[in-house]
Amino acid sequence: MTGAAATFPTGAHLLLVEDDDAMRGAVAANLAAHGYRIVEAADVAEAIRRWDAERPDVILLDLGLPDGEGTTIIRRVRREATTPILVLSARGAEPDKVAALDAGADDYVTKPFGLAELRARVAALLRRTAGPAADREGAIRHGRLQIDVARRIATVDGETLELTPREYELLRTMLSQPGRLLTKARLLRAVWGTAYADEGHYLHVYVSRLRRKLAAADPDGSLRELIVAEPGVGYRVAEPP
Amino acid sequence: MRPLPRPDLTSIRLPPRPRLVAMAALIAAVLGLATVVVAILESTAVGIQDASPAYFVAVVVAGSVLGTIPAIVTAVVSFVVYDLLFTNPHLTLVVSDPKEWLDLVLFLVLAVVVGRLSALGTERAAEASRRAAESSALFAISRILATAPDIETAAPQVAERLLRDGSLDRIWIVSERGGRHQVVADTRPEAPFPASTIVTVLVRTPGDTPAHWVRAHEPRPPEPNRPTEPSRAQHGGTILRVRMEADGVPIGSLKASQPPGAAEPDRVTTRLLALAADQLALAIRRDDLRREATEVEIARRADALKTALLDAVSHDLRTPLASIRAAAGSLVDPDIAVDAASARATAAAIDAEADRLDRLVREVLDLSRIEAGSLRPELEPLVLADAVAQVVDRLRPILGPRPITVAIPDELPPVRADAVLLDGLLSNVVENVARHTAAPAALEISAGAEGDRIRLAIEDGGPGVSPADRDRMFEKFHRLPAAVEGSRRGLGVGLAIVRGMTEAMGGSVVAQESRLGGLRIEVELPAAAALPSDAGEPARSGIPTP
Repeated sequence: MTGAAATFPTGAHLLLVEDDDAMRGAVAANLAAHGYRIVEAADVAEAIRRWDAERPDVILLDLGLPDGEGTTIIRRVRREATTPILVLSARGAEPDKVAALDAGADDYVTKPFGLAELRARVAALLRRTAGPAADREGAIRHGRLQIDVARRIATVDGETLELTPREYELLRTMLSQPGRLLTKARLLRAVWGTAYADEGHYLHVYVSRLRRKLAAADPDGSLRELIVAEPGVGYRVAEPP
Repeated sequence: MRPLPRPDLTSIRLPPRPRLVAMAALIAAVLGLATVVVAILESTAVGIQDASPAYFVAVVVAGSVLGTIPAIVTAVVSFVVYDLLFTNPHLTLVVSDPKEWLDLVLFLVLAVVVGRLSALGTERAAEASRRAAESSALFAISRILATAPDIETAAPQVAERLLRDGSLDRIWIVSERGGRHQVVADTRPEAPFPASTIVTVLVRTPGDTPAHWVRAHEPRPPEPNRPTEPSRAQHGGTILRVRMEADGVPIGSLKASQPPGAAEPDRVTTRLLALAADQLALAIRRDDLRREATEVEIARRADALKTALLDAVSHDLRTPLASIRAAAGSLVDPDIAVDAASARATAAAIDAEADRLDRLVREVLDLSRIEAGSLRPELEPLVLADAVAQVVDRLRPILGPRPITVAIPDELPPVRADAVLLDGLLSNVVENVARHTAAPAALEISAGAEGDRIRLAIEDGGPGVSPADRDRMFEKFHRLPAAVEGSRRGLGVGLAIVRGMTEAMGGSVVAQESRLGGLRIEVELPAAAALPSDAGEPARSGIPTP
């Protein structure tokens, strides 16, 4: 992932919200060295001021801030824009991550994180804002996997995958937002409906079936790792090669 | 030896008036019988001149059955009756013949002596049997207290035993520890406690003064672990209380209630209650001391463990920290000319050490969360094959070039687990394999269902672990000698974390010898109910949307 930084346009405008000065300084210096423009904020109030004034392209957000919860900022931003938000969270705080993602954050990295990984996640978020995954013909392409949205058919190298309607719907939902971390509740609502938002086990079982079918259709293996689990949080689909 | 089945009126405890009537009736009966016998013997048909000794039989019966006083009463009445009926002139107390006077007086004296003697024998026999009963009760109580593991077990048995021997209708034992009252035994737990505040207390003074009962007005002691119904709990009988003390420290009370109308407890019951109270007090005190000693020992061991933990943790955390500071220090030093390549190498070292530090901190945090019991697993059905694949894929870099086999059947039911904990425990076991077995050693992961449990086995082809170490490897800070040259040793808590996480999810884990030659870690977790399949839905995805 280290080389990814060079492959997309730099010069994007990032808002970094982090209360620890040393941490903020180090992250800002590194991102600046990779061509980003950085705006820094150390608390909720300053973050909201900066957001109003600068309208950054991506927000990097630490959840525990001295004057309030980072989720306040997420809600505030979501009222006005779909700007990608990347949460910088502490380890082992899965419920907080899920809460932040459900509030509208797009992804998270767990502290302590490697800077290369952080840059790759930022790059992915920037890429995603470029446009929807479906092309003009209503097809979603992901390497050898293709989904014909109009006909509700998924194919691998042109071969139709035998999928149940739920499996198809699940695959389509995940593929339409590649690279994005989708929480369990979000996927359940999208595929099964609002009443199923707490039925996480449906998801695990269907993801497992999908993986098996994808692996069977693609014996060389890359599709087996298409759907990546984030234990306790949700799933994401690897970005197209 | 006893002339009649023993109607021991002292222990039958008739209320006073009926008892008097019964005594009078018995005396009248034996006197009547004796009079009839004398009349027959002195009649002309038989012709015995003086049959008065027949009355001695009546006196002996009265004495042996009823005691000294009734015997003397019988003797005097016999004397009067004989005088009235069989001495001339009849029907008056006047005796014409002076010789008969002498006979009569002699008769009276003899009758009193005989009555007293027969009463004495019976009373001694009764006393002996009472003593025997008392000793046997005391022995039983001592035995209960000596053999029961704790006072909570012993006290109810003691209470039952006392109820059997005394003339009481309920016994309860209240311990008083640190001002807290607790009922440790009660022979009628369903009934509310008597609400009366009038209590008959046994007063015991040191020395030879016999214990005696004193009626006292006492405020009700709080007995908070039992509901009381003051208005409906009226109890006609007396409440007895015997204080329990040991080493001058009040331990509690032995309490009893008597049936309504009962007299003050007799000497036997009193002695029994007093001795039982003493024994109970000693037993409760002994229990308390033992408990304190155990608590002190537990605290001592916990301290020793904490010290060991602190030593281990501080050493292991400081090592990477020291490397980081050394490396960073040379980058910071203005006197050292650093070229770009060596700067990058130093930074890489810092990065690697920080990574190691991160793992150690994570282990310590995981362990402390397990120990604090603050793991709150969110159990849900999870597909084990997916969790295993995820962990193996993630750890492939540190596993190195070795054959890895994952054999988990597709039809295996989902496992009921917490996604994060399952991932953590699998990572720990697989990391353990990577750390302790050098690279070409195989890694094999298999799973199967057994009833409503899922068994997952993680096996390696490494050098294995001796049976003695296998038992201890789940203890924290248990470190096996590093098998891999240059492998970085962890805190020795990895498997302790595995066990903690597994148990938090209602599972278990054991270490065995693998048929691959190395170690086999077997994790057992509850299976989840299988999902209703969507077989009813069309199997093909190719349905055009309308």
